[in-house]
Amino acid sequence: MQIRRTVSMATMTSIAKFALAVSLLCCSSTLLAQTTAPRQVAKSAGARSSSSVPDLSGNWLIGPGSPSFDANDPAGKNAQQLPMTPWAREKFNAAKPPFGDRGTFDKPNDPVQEYCDPPGLTRLYGYPWQFTIVQTPAYVYILFEYYHEWRLVTMNQPHPKDVDSTWLGDSVGKYEGDALIIDTVGLNDKSWLDNVGHPHSDALHLIERIRRASHDLLQIDMTFDDPKAYTKSWTTQRTFKLSSDPMGETMCSLSENEDFQKNIMDRTVSGAPAK
Amino acid sequence: MEKRLFLASTLALVVLAAASPSFAHHGTAGYDMSKTITLTGTVAKYEWSNPHITLLLDAKDEKGQMQRWSLELSAPLLMKRFGWSSTTMKPGDQIVAEAHPSRNGAPVGISGTATFLLKFVVNGTELPHT
Repeated sequence: MQIRRTVSMATMTSIAKFALAVSLLCCSSTLLAQTTAPRQVAKSAGARSSSSVPDLSGNWLIGPGSPSFDANDPAGKNAQQLPMTPWAREKFNAAKPPFGDRGTFDKPNDPVQEYCDPPGLTRLYGYPWQFTIVQTPAYVYILFEYYHEWRLVTMNQPHPKDVDSTWLGDSVGKYEGDALIIDTVGLNDKSWLDNVGHPHSDALHLIERIRRASHDLLQIDMTFDDPKAYTKSWTTQRTFKLSSDPMGETMCSLSENEDFQKNIMDRTVSGAPAK
Repeated sequence: MEKRLFLASTLALVVLAAASPSFAHHGTAGYDMSKTITLTGTVAKYEWSNPHITLLLDAKDEKGQMQRWSLELSAPLLMKRFGWSSTTMKPGDQIVAEAHPSRNGAPVGISGTATFLLKFVVNGTELPHT
C-alpha cells in the first residue's frame, strides 16, 4: 500500500520533530512514502489512493474565517443565542473575550491571552495560522503552527475505558468514504470552543468529519454533543484553503504578551504613554 | 539634514469586507476602524515579537507636539508572509505609516492584522502591503 504524497523538505523540517518523535514514542509504523521538493511546499495531489485512504495532506489555512462557531452567527453579534444550559450561560456571561460584539481590550479574561493556556481542541481551528495533517496507518497527527500544538488521533481503536480529562482529550479516528472521522472525549472544561467565549464542559463529545471538498479546500464538519453545557447538540463547518507556504513558528510567551498588553491594549483603554 | 516631522491626519472611510473580519490574537474593539491616519516621523523601537509586532515612533500631533505612538502589526509569522522581516526597519529610520487610531484618542493604532496591512514607507522605500 502506498499513498502518493508530496511533502517538501521545508515542511518536513517543521514537523519532523513532532511527527517522527511522536511516531517513535507511540511505536507507530513509519511515515508513509514521501518525496522532497524545493522550499516552497508542493501542493499535494489530493487524489484517493486505491487503499481507500483519502489524502488529506497539505498545509491548510483558515479563510476567511469568523470568530464564532455558531453557524447562524459567525461574526459573534448574538453569541448568547446558542442553546446553553444555566451552567454554561454563567460561564459565558463571565467570559470577556477579545472578539465579537462583546469584544473588549479592557481586562479581557481570555485564558489564551491572559495565561497562554492551550486554545483547546476546536478553537485551534479559529486562528489565521496553518495546520498540517500527517496520516500514518496507526495514527493521524494534526500539527498546528499556533503555539506548536499537535493532536494525536489513534486510528481504528476504541477509546480507553478510563479517559483522564485533558486539554485535547482522547481522539480516535476512522475513514468513511472520502472523510476522516475523529471522535473525541475526555476533555477538561478549561478552554473555549471559539473566539467569542462559547464554553464547553468535560462531558463534551466532539465528532469531526474532515474531507477534501476539492483539491484546494479542506472541509471540517463538527458536531458538539455536550449535555452539561448545551440543551441540544449543534453543528458547525469550517473550511480551509491549501497553502503553498511552509509551516512556521508562532509561540505564546507570557512575557511578550505582557509587553503587548501594556504597550498597546492597555493604552487604548487608559491612554497611558508608551515607553 | 533638518528633520521635518509632521502629522498629517487624513480621514478616510474604510469599508471593511464583512466576510473578512480582522482577527488573530484579539479583535479590534479598541480601534476606530473607520478612520485611517498617516503618521510621519522617526522609528523609536521595532519589536519583532509575539503576539504582535509593536512599532514605536515619534511624530508630531496636529498641535505640533511631539508624541510617541505605538502601532500594532500582525504576528511575526504572518508579517513574514506579507514580505516583512525583523530587519525591515530600525530605530532612527524615517517612516511614514498609516494606522487606524484608538477610540480613546491615545496615540495608539493598528496597522495590520492577518487580513490587512496598511501602507508604510521607510527611508523612502514603500514596504509590501495589501
